[in-house]
Amino acid sequence: MYISDKNKQLNTYDAIVIGSGISGGWAAMELCKKGLKTLLLERGRDVKHIIDYPTANLNPWDFKAGMNNTLKDRETDPIHSGAYSPADKHFYVSDAEHPYVQEKPFNWYRGYQVGGRSLTWGRQCYRWSDLDFQANHQDGYGIDWPIRYKDLEQWYSYAESFIGVSGNCENLAQLPDGKFLTPMELNCIEKHLGDSIRKHDEHRLLTIARVANLTRGWDNRGPCQNRNLCTRGCPFGGYFSSNSSTIPAAMATGNLTLRPFSIVTELLFDEQKQKAKGVRVIDTLTNEVLEFYAKIVFVNASTIATAGLLLNSVSSRFPDGFGNGSGQLGHNLMDHHSSAGAYGIHESYTDQYYKGRRPCGFLIPRYRNLQQDKSLNFKRGYNIQGHGERQEWMDKAQSIEGFGEEFKAQLTTPGPWSIWMAGWGECLPYFDNKVSLDNFQKDKWDQPLIKIDFAFRDNEHKMMSDIQQTSAEMFEKAGFKNIETFNYNKPGGSTIHEMGTARMGHDPKTSVLNKFNQMHEAKNVFITDGSCMTSSACQNPSLTYMALTARASQFAYEQLKKGEL
Amino acid sequence: MDRRLYIKSVFGLAVAGAASFSILKWVSMNRAVVPADLVHKRELLAELAELIIPQTDTPGARAAMVHDYMIMVILNCTPVKEQNKFIDGIAELEDYTAERYGKDFLQCSLAEKKIVLKHMARNSSGYSYKILNKINNKLFGKPFFLKLRELTVEGYCQSRLGATQGLAYDYIPHTFEACIPLRKNQKSWATK
Repeated sequence: MYISDKNKQLNTYDAIVIGSGISGGWAAMELCKKGLKTLLLERGRDVKHIIDYPTANLNPWDFKAGMNNTLKDRETDPIHSGAYSPADKHFYVSDAEHPYVQEKPFNWYRGYQVGGRSLTWGRQCYRWSDLDFQANHQDGYGIDWPIRYKDLEQWYSYAESFIGVSGNCENLAQLPDGKFLTPMELNCIEKHLGDSIRKHDEHRLLTIARVANLTRGWDNRGPCQNRNLCTRGCPFGGYFSSNSSTIPAAMATGNLTLRPFSIVTELLFDEQKQKAKGVRVIDTLTNEVLEFYAKIVFVNASTIATAGLLLNSVSSRFPDGFGNGSGQLGHNLMDHHSSAGAYGIHESYTDQYYKGRRPCGFLIPRYRNLQQDKSLNFKRGYNIQGHGERQEWMDKAQSIEGFGEEFKAQLTTPGPWSIWMAGWGECLPYFDNKVSLDNFQKDKWDQPLIKIDFAFRDNEHKMMSDIQQTSAEMFEKAGFKNIETFNYNKPGGSTIHEMGTARMGHDPKTSVLNKFNQMHEAKNVFITDGSCMTSSACQNPSLTYMALTARASQFAYEQLKKGEL
Repeated sequence: MDRRLYIKSVFGLAVAGAASFSILKWVSMNRAVVPADLVHKRELLAELAELIIPQTDTPGARAAMVHDYMIMVILNCTPVKEQNKFIDGIAELEDYTAERYGKDFLQCSLAEKKIVLKHMARNSSGYSYKILNKINNKLFGKPFFLKLRELTVEGYCQSRLGATQGLAYDYIPHTFEACIPLRKNQKSWATK
């Protein structure tokens, strides 16, 4: 490829950010706000806030086959049709178009568009604590985190204050409080369970979920209208996404160039300077191959894609992948498990109901292994997430007998109160759980397919049994009936919390990134998506990505100004 | 029941079930469905849906056009085995009606129609073990009556009339009120 000096100049920025999801949007905003001319590359189409939410205002009857996916959907998207419905299908990729190789069953759910999966995320925002940052060091699984809670604390506050998180302060060591908007409210049955839990165990409590749904107007968005249709995109800007928040903020600085339809295939290495010089891109509209250059590169393509991109970026300096001197790149893949839990109904409060559709449930913060507990047969812990409600038609339809007027009367009136809850559990970092490239199978842009080899192991399975047991016990003590425990045995990836393929650490021999998410072996490359995570904890991770991104952006900017990069 | 005995008896029944499963049945279950066959039954489906969710002080399934929803979902969203199970169920219902009353279902009186549907409901109760019903449903698709009722419920509760009159529909709730007294004749919320 011949590139003239003029073109080179045109294609040169201060910073390049790869990926526009939750962490990429943050990186772009932070860098733009600091005055850096930033190119934000996104492999998918553009999705403009509100304008590109075609289903956001539709009623149930506007979907002619209800929430059923078609047979054709299930054929072309055997994985993704398990995640989407006709209401939000357009925010998920097609499996037929974007294949990957499962060495063991793994659900790799993706949203290739501006905003990525920040459009469809679960919006739960939980800080990590030193219980989490010290875990690897204490029990010897994985390597030590190069940071502690105090390193991230102010950045958590910064992220929460920007995105708007509603929640309740609980003063727990294992789940630090944050800067919260007024919390959403628990309903009768949730309060009932919460009261019982507090009465029976001083180390446990039940609190309303901490969510990036706004309980009042914030940053010209919201408040949340309690429609609970978040995954369609919110026309009220009631929840945080790149599209509603960071990308418009970046755009407003005048420093952002957003380039959709741009698949980054390689990071380019400058042998002389021993740094990244830029990226190679395929424009998916024209099939043109382009190069873009910058002083710093933020890689935020998401855990698995980031690993794939770096593994695909080989040079004489990096024959095994960009920045992979440690041999850890692609390894230590983690995902939370969220398969095990319990369901129960309660016969009280039959004269109580609710109005509105609160877009979140409750949380029972971690209560296992707060100190290492020898009586338990697993390491680390889990939190419980759930929600209470009265059974409605979709729950009752199977259990009511017969047909006719009596059937209809029962179907259309509120049933007993019920709670569904499940454990979100930590997954240990195992070297063999990994992402690699398939040297034989290529996608339609002639790029190698990504192979995923992942399985939960003994520690996770034992934890799942414990979740079932403690959930059922909490229900029993609170007087629930018809308690059923479950384990859906969902494959890895199903919680959509992939982490760990380019981990942070002190030592370049055992990690890819340093304590500022800076690549040990190429100082102007920063990775702040899930791949940087050294352990998985049990908290939903997005808030931590945002805090890490803001922190790394500040560090990168300072280094740049000092002429270090 | 002793757990071991229970497992043994369940296993025994499962084997018996599998043995009676012939190749002929497999072929017939997987045959391609002709859409027109189902579309021709539109009136019949409307009548059946109305029997399940009749007009009362609120609209019934017929007014909510549940039959069109059913046809749409069976033809576009239902695996071929279950499509056939459904179509076979209609044929069985018609055969039973003809045998019992010597006329078409649509010509029957309301009482007669109810008797026919009750017969179909009885036939769908399946095994007395929940797990065998699950296996059976998985292998052969849901029994006709249960599928018919499920589609009727889904179609009705998500239709404009069903959601806004049969149930309580709150398009934009604005606020969330966590615990409020249940009002007299309070309908279920149509959406979660």
